[in-house]
Amino acid sequence: MTAAKKTLLIGMGNPILTDDAVGIRLARDLRARLGARPGLDVIEECCVGGLNLLDLVTGYDRLIVLDSIKTADGTPGAWYRFDARSLRETMNLTNVHDTNFATALELGRHMGMKVPADTENHIFAVEIGDNMTFSEELTPELAAAYPDLADEIFAEVEALLL
Amino acid sequence: MTRKISIDPITRLEGHGKIEIFLDDSGAVEDTFFQIPELRGFERFVVGRPIEELPRIVTRICGVCPASHHMASAKAVDGCFGGEVAPLAHKLRDMYYQAHFIHSHIAHFYALAAPDFVLGPDADPTIRNVLGVVHKVGLEIGGAVIASRGKAQEIQRIIGGRNTQDIWCLPGGVAKGLKPEELEQIKPWVDELFDFTQFSIQLFKDVVLANPTYVELIVNGPYTLDVHNMGLVDESNAPNFYDGKVRVVDFEGKEICKYAPDEYADFVAEHVEEWSYLKFPYLKKRGWKGFVEGIDSSIYCATPLARLNVADHMATPKAQEAFEEMFATLGGHPCRALLANHWARLVEMVQNAETLKTYCADPEITGDQFRVIPEKVTGEGVGIVEAMRGTLTHHYTCDANAICTSANLIVGTTNNNGPIQMVTKKVAQSLIKPGVEPDQGILNMIEMAFRAFDPCYSCATHSLPGQMPLEVRVHRGGDVTHHFKRQC
Repeated sequence: MTAAKKTLLIGMGNPILTDDAVGIRLARDLRARLGARPGLDVIEECCVGGLNLLDLVTGYDRLIVLDSIKTADGTPGAWYRFDARSLRETMNLTNVHDTNFATALELGRHMGMKVPADTENHIFAVEIGDNMTFSEELTPELAAAYPDLADEIFAEVEALLL
Repeated sequence: MTRKISIDPITRLEGHGKIEIFLDDSGAVEDTFFQIPELRGFERFVVGRPIEELPRIVTRICGVCPASHHMASAKAVDGCFGGEVAPLAHKLRDMYYQAHFIHSHIAHFYALAAPDFVLGPDADPTIRNVLGVVHKVGLEIGGAVIASRGKAQEIQRIIGGRNTQDIWCLPGGVAKGLKPEELEQIKPWVDELFDFTQFSIQLFKDVVLANPTYVELIVNGPYTLDVHNMGLVDESNAPNFYDGKVRVVDFEGKEICKYAPDEYADFVAEHVEEWSYLKFPYLKKRGWKGFVEGIDSSIYCATPLARLNVADHMATPKAQEAFEEMFATLGGHPCRALLANHWARLVEMVQNAETLKTYCADPEITGDQFRVIPEKVTGEGVGIVEAMRGTLTHHYTCDANAICTSANLIVGTTNNNGPIQMVTKKVAQSLIKPGVEPDQGILNMIEMAFRAFDPCYSCATHSLPGQMPLEVRVHRGGDVTHHFKRQC
């Protein structure tokens, strides 16, 4: 029997910025549903990025990220799954303070640090409506969609962990 | 109803910062507008909450400088409870904050400033990032950058108990002290960080100052503004990041004003423009005079360079050496060259590391008297610290039951909103001229103008990809003639 992949599941977001909290809510709910799993660590609330994120993911074989995303004409509650290869085109110098997620991972890899391969970065991004207003409540549209999207994402995460 | 869409959403993200450039009939730049999305409703969000909760809530305002908000908020809350704070708590907070400054400045200098100078401002955008820097300078230096940043972060964690979302500061002090064994763990790292600051200063000399083109760009390029300077200083007018008075000095070196935190509303006001969500702070006693340079302007910068410009000297010896060398090279003190902010960060890092050394040698630092329990509610407090990117002000009021009744924040980047608008226009005007077509290289040169400020816009959101994309549109005769959008 092979050892379970060392996996980190993180909920990205801000708990007081309306829909930005959706990744945190998912991480909390998934942790409760999944229970203890061999090799699985969960960070329910993660609001760091760039080089700070590199500190967190070093040493893991696999990363599961639950996050929000806002795209043109997106419908709140829709969700996307992709891996870190899709983030590679964000590696240009566009951030005004720190490096972004993809750049931080690539830097760690370049420096010989053990970080998950691009194909082992499983990102679940939920389309949101408002991440600019301080509130502890989701927007009504996202709140209505949440139970279904949580079930769907849970099923995919559970399949990953089998 | 939810749906899974099998398309890549990364190329169509919302929430961009925008630079709108308007050309006249000849093709010269007539005006520019730098617009960014802004978070809403924080002041309303905190009203009605116990005031002592605010230092824990405000760490969510910003994912980049949560420690700065934690400190400023703690000091404002101290004020709401009468202002008495255990002297050891002030030392510990300051020690913690020096470490925060170091890892933030390392991240900015090596990840964001260095690509422009190590690889060149017109380098291919696909390699002009920290990976390109590491490729150019070597893995050994890259490893030292990662290790040093990590050690500074770890020092902050050991002192404050957590990496992010601090809960350490309480009214009258802090929740935990520094144990002797923790101090012993920190000491060698502090020595290593000091060495790294010296290395970074030397690297800057070797890579930037040894290149006459870069020196010319810094000193005589379009990246200069005749506006004033703001920064927190101690009693001897040396930079202090955690405490002191706010000093404002004009670009010729004359002091305009110096005020205690609770006097801030007498000295700073905020102007509103209909085209921007973000306000524009200015020197209140001079009145709003528009986006104008000159000795009578009411616009000021609050940046690392501004902090050194308002200082008569540094607080520590090696930082003083670096300070003197920097201003001698730049043609004197104060300096108006905004790209020198990158150098100023390195000078500040030297003071941060030397101050950490001082605290490590302080026999009182592992004491246990790190909090005074407040016994009264006085109802109002103002906390000012230097965030990495500028003077940060938190002002709260509360009722007799210590429930928050109002909050007002002037954050570091907001101070610089006016100068960022002005220098963006100035650089655009110098680069985009009749017959010169804007391209990605010019876009980066414009970005360099506001990157020097290490601005922090909408950084409390964490939606993918964890950054604010930038879009530039060039308008002429009512049409958009050029449209650049970073692929993010």
